[in-house]
Amino acid sequence: MKTPPIQVAFDVGGTFTDFVLQDAQGRLHTHKRLTTYPDPSEACLAGLDELFAQAGVPCAELARAVHGTTLGSNIVIERKASHVALVSTRGFRDVLAIGRQKRYQLYDLQIDKPEPLIERDWIWEVTERTLADGSEHVALDEADARRVIAELKEKGVRSLAVCFLHSYSNPAHERAFADLLRAQAPEIEISLSSDVSPQFREYERTSTTVVNAYLKRAVRAYLAAMSGHLQARDYRGSLFVMQSGGGAATAETMAEFPVRMIESGPAAGALVAAHYGALTGHPDLVAFDMGGTTAKLSLITGGAPQMVDTFELHRVRLAPGSGLPMNVRSLDLVEIGAGGGSIARPHLGTIQVGPDSAGSEPGPVCYGRGGAEPTVTDANLVLGYLNPENFAGGSLRLDVEGARKAIEEKVARPLGLNLEQAAWGIHALVNTNMELATRVVSIERGHDPRRLALVATGGSGPVHACRLVQALGIKTAILPAASGVASAIGLLVAEVKFDVSRTLLTALDAADPAALFTEMEAEAAAVVRHSTGDEPAEMRREVDLRYIGQGYELTVPFESASKARAAFEELYARRYGMASPEEAVEATTWRLTAVGRLATVELPHFQSGVLPEPHRRRAWFPESEGWTEAAVYRRDALPAGARLRGPAIVEERESTTVLPPDMEAEVDAYGNLLVSA
Amino acid sequence: MSADAVDPITLGVVWGALQSICVEIGSTVQRTAYSIQAREGQDFSVAVFDAQGRMSAQGPYSPGHMGAMSFAIRNFMDAFPADRLEPGDTLLLNDPQLGSGHFPDFLVTQPCFWKERLVGFGVNLVHHTDVGGSRPGSQAVEGIFDYHQEGLRIPPVKIVEAGRENATALAIIAANSRVPRNVLGDLRSQRASLLVGEQRLRELHERFGAETVAACVDAMLDQTEQRVRARITEMRDGAYEFEDFMDDYGTGTPPLRIHVTVTVAGDRLAIDFDGTDAQTESGLNSYFNYTRSYVYAAVKCLTDPYGPMNAGALRAVEIMAPEGCFLNPRRPAGGGPRAAICSRVFEVILGALAPALPEAVTAANSHFCNATFGAWDPVRRRRFVGYELIHGGIGGRAAKDGCEAMSSPYNAANIPVEAVEANTPVIVERFGFIPDSAGAGKQRGGLGVRRDVRILGESIKFTNLSERHRFAPFGLFGGRPGKLGRTVVNPGTDRERQIGGKASVDLDYGDVVSFQLAGAGGYGDPRERDPEAVRRDLRLGLVTPEGARGDYGLET
Repeated sequence: MKTPPIQVAFDVGGTFTDFVLQDAQGRLHTHKRLTTYPDPSEACLAGLDELFAQAGVPCAELARAVHGTTLGSNIVIERKASHVALVSTRGFRDVLAIGRQKRYQLYDLQIDKPEPLIERDWIWEVTERTLADGSEHVALDEADARRVIAELKEKGVRSLAVCFLHSYSNPAHERAFADLLRAQAPEIEISLSSDVSPQFREYERTSTTVVNAYLKRAVRAYLAAMSGHLQARDYRGSLFVMQSGGGAATAETMAEFPVRMIESGPAAGALVAAHYGALTGHPDLVAFDMGGTTAKLSLITGGAPQMVDTFELHRVRLAPGSGLPMNVRSLDLVEIGAGGGSIARPHLGTIQVGPDSAGSEPGPVCYGRGGAEPTVTDANLVLGYLNPENFAGGSLRLDVEGARKAIEEKVARPLGLNLEQAAWGIHALVNTNMELATRVVSIERGHDPRRLALVATGGSGPVHACRLVQALGIKTAILPAASGVASAIGLLVAEVKFDVSRTLLTALDAADPAALFTEMEAEAAAVVRHSTGDEPAEMRREVDLRYIGQGYELTVPFESASKARAAFEELYARRYGMASPEEAVEATTWRLTAVGRLATVELPHFQSGVLPEPHRRRAWFPESEGWTEAAVYRRDALPAGARLRGPAIVEERESTTVLPPDMEAEVDAYGNLLVSA
Repeated sequence: MSADAVDPITLGVVWGALQSICVEIGSTVQRTAYSIQAREGQDFSVAVFDAQGRMSAQGPYSPGHMGAMSFAIRNFMDAFPADRLEPGDTLLLNDPQLGSGHFPDFLVTQPCFWKERLVGFGVNLVHHTDVGGSRPGSQAVEGIFDYHQEGLRIPPVKIVEAGRENATALAIIAANSRVPRNVLGDLRSQRASLLVGEQRLRELHERFGAETVAACVDAMLDQTEQRVRARITEMRDGAYEFEDFMDDYGTGTPPLRIHVTVTVAGDRLAIDFDGTDAQTESGLNSYFNYTRSYVYAAVKCLTDPYGPMNAGALRAVEIMAPEGCFLNPRRPAGGGPRAAICSRVFEVILGALAPALPEAVTAANSHFCNATFGAWDPVRRRRFVGYELIHGGIGGRAAKDGCEAMSSPYNAANIPVEAVEANTPVIVERFGFIPDSAGAGKQRGGLGVRRDVRILGESIKFTNLSERHRFAPFGLFGGRPGKLGRTVVNPGTDRERQIGGKASVDLDYGDVVSFQLAGAGGYGDPRERDPEAVRRDLRLGLVTPEGARGDYGLET
């Protein structure tokens, strides 16, 4: 076996920054540090230095460093950038503020839209117009453009988004404007919509381009500083950054298209789920990540996470339609307000769990930090699933009495239930919420959950995973070891990837995309070559298709028109019940992904041995008609090959696995728990 | 099993499942529909009913059809009692009185059977592009004196019988539309989505059994009813009156009065439109199902915006309108363009209840515009139907300005300029806010929006459907009304002329129609507005210096 390259990954999360280093012997070294504010790179660098020391590996021997960051998302949430402007086609200054105008809460008269990133007095119009077929209707008025550029300079604009109507069809006017800008005001950074997101629908394209412009300066400065710090430690390779679409790209590429790295965490989580699926022979699965405030669900098919080509940033209470739309390839994720901190209350004769959360401050009642509303974690504690002495590695002693009292008073008594029924109700109803979300990511996308496996990560994921697989009829749950640094491992397994796309509206039968693909391949291959020093290992061609007259598309692989058509019909029928083979099909957006392969990560093996004698603890299960003695194990003491039978509880530093009565789990060679229903 | 016997946990699980079935039906409609208003504008609704015909859950789409759906299902059941339904049936109607008030709304339902027993219905309603009649789009106001001029009327029929398509009915429907392919495509979409819903409903019964599901529905409706009643009880008892006017019902016609009395008595609301003007000899009438829909929507907004919407939510509300008034017309009154009425029905309820619920209401909204036009496309050499859906802003609120550029309660999205231009031979020349149009107030209303559309068609039959050209959106508590809207043909040229909000006109190749929506009403005395807020609006160009001085006394 050849020596694996030394690689490190570091992932900045809201609370913790996670680190994983794989040494030349293939061993994984992990580390965790509190994220630092306002400068998260402090924790990154301190943690990296500690990890290098801990692993005995000098930074100079490092072959590859991969970074996951929430920087982009934070800049947008906190509206931190300034001096960002937008230039639009004359007559369309208000596209960004108008948006799509649909109420994201049907009956709430008090709703507001997210504040636009660019206020109206930072938006200019230029005389020009292109039509849908790409033809020029009004030439770009150069005198007008120069006047606008002079005003941009005067105003102190530093980063500019340009979005002209139909520029996806013909980018000439945007490019001509960019040339004028570079000549007249080279100090202004520019993001053209025809480069960032050459796709039709002006609001979504403008929104994407504006976010790109908004992030550009801060992201470039941050990544340059981070690369500089690594170089100062004698690292000679490129710094790679995780994109929302699950591929890594170099810091230089991301500095040009920062909108692509806006949400890298969930993609990393899904990649690691796919990786564990591959290790255990399950290419099709649901990735289930349940943390303190939300649960995230996504679908992996054929070993690859399902992607979407548009997503919304910062939804209001997770409501669809309330966020900023981004035409960026990203994980097809359903996120719901169901986490350990989700608050439970009586509502309409049943128990409502979430979507609001006690978060980590004040947190659940049992944290003893002033939380007064009963939460999912409180219910799990009352049911005996969590160990009050060994939560978060024993760093936090949980208040069982407080949790009992809160559930008794606020849920059980108003609904006429006893304490255990109420706690079980909270546990069961948060499971229902997650079950429905799982149906959305599986059935709505045409996959029967009974044929899928489930990989659970996150602090609360393994507490609920077995119930979720029971409710959905899923046969196997995979509960990975080291799930606490799962997303950092996800960074290590990410391929180098670059996606490009172009809108070309045409009947599929009449389509001739050869030139388009050649152009896109050249563009994407250059990025991959620059990143890996090698030709791309794979070029994936795809196309968005719809029946002529429809407004939403499905993305299918493109090899030939007839094969794409067949793939479309199959996917359409799978997703929507029936296809219409007699109808004409139209292509809208053509997509190309260049993939560069890198050495894969080998996970460490667990030793086999004898299952240690468990502790025993009382836990409440409806199957046992109440309290019963459950076997309690420590995760790191489980030998490979061991078999457990529920009721059992497996504790580890960051999480707890609950195995209900009659369910069985096996410890595999990597220390994963494989649960069979 | 009785509702009381359901445990809270099972109730929660079944409730969540029924809700998610609606979402699944709705997302399938949106993704498979053909017509632009359904897929981009989301002008459709979905719901699930139980075997007794009670609405158990609805999806989060257009609320305008909701009141109608409840009654339409009963009308389906009258025409086809349970013993005449079988698995694989799909039923359709578009009769205005039995359904949702105009022909373009196709109500489609599919009974769900489990163990050979009828256990419920999936229902959806999609606004179709054109179902014939005198004007393309089937929504003309002028030149209509009864609904026989508005297109094809379909009584309850089985378009699919036990899985076999009724080719005769479909052929007749297609033959009566100007865009048969769209109509058939949308019908297929409606049916496909209901197949998905039926499957899910069956799975739910498989898991819990029919008795438990039925008991859960009983409990859901009871709980919802109690909650709405509790909210009504919190309102101060009394009779609250309000009045507003529709501009007209065609060029040269008088305004139409809407008068409402809302009586709060204990845990009941009675809403009576006595005093409202008589039905018109035009398309502008709102059949009672449609009127009810927007009354329910308003009540829900004011009482329990995040509560469930089901048959239980409707029980505490009694709605009356004298037969023969334009909010409860007798057959065969026209009703094609009735969407122009819904906002006003909604707003008069808000206006009436403002003294009782000052924190919850908003001042009047910009009215939306839903113009349609048909013409010959000389380039593609075919006739086409164009459709515009333009929204302005929401009225001022107790604690903040009205929401800018947001759909009113009918809740539709706008249609992207790039999508419109790719589909129809038009050029949108501008789309943006109208400065100084917002109704002044301590909290101002949202701004009016202007959209100019150049139509590159020959022999254009243009049908306007706009409002607030004569009666401005009202303000509340001292807030000023918004600026009036206008529709202008060829603005800024020597051929400029204004046309009425309901006008049907012939236009020439290349004519521009400028839709200028009214501003929404303000809330509270403008003199109390924070000067910083006025300066901000000034900086953003949303008010002009003259407007800031005139409306707010701000010297610049």
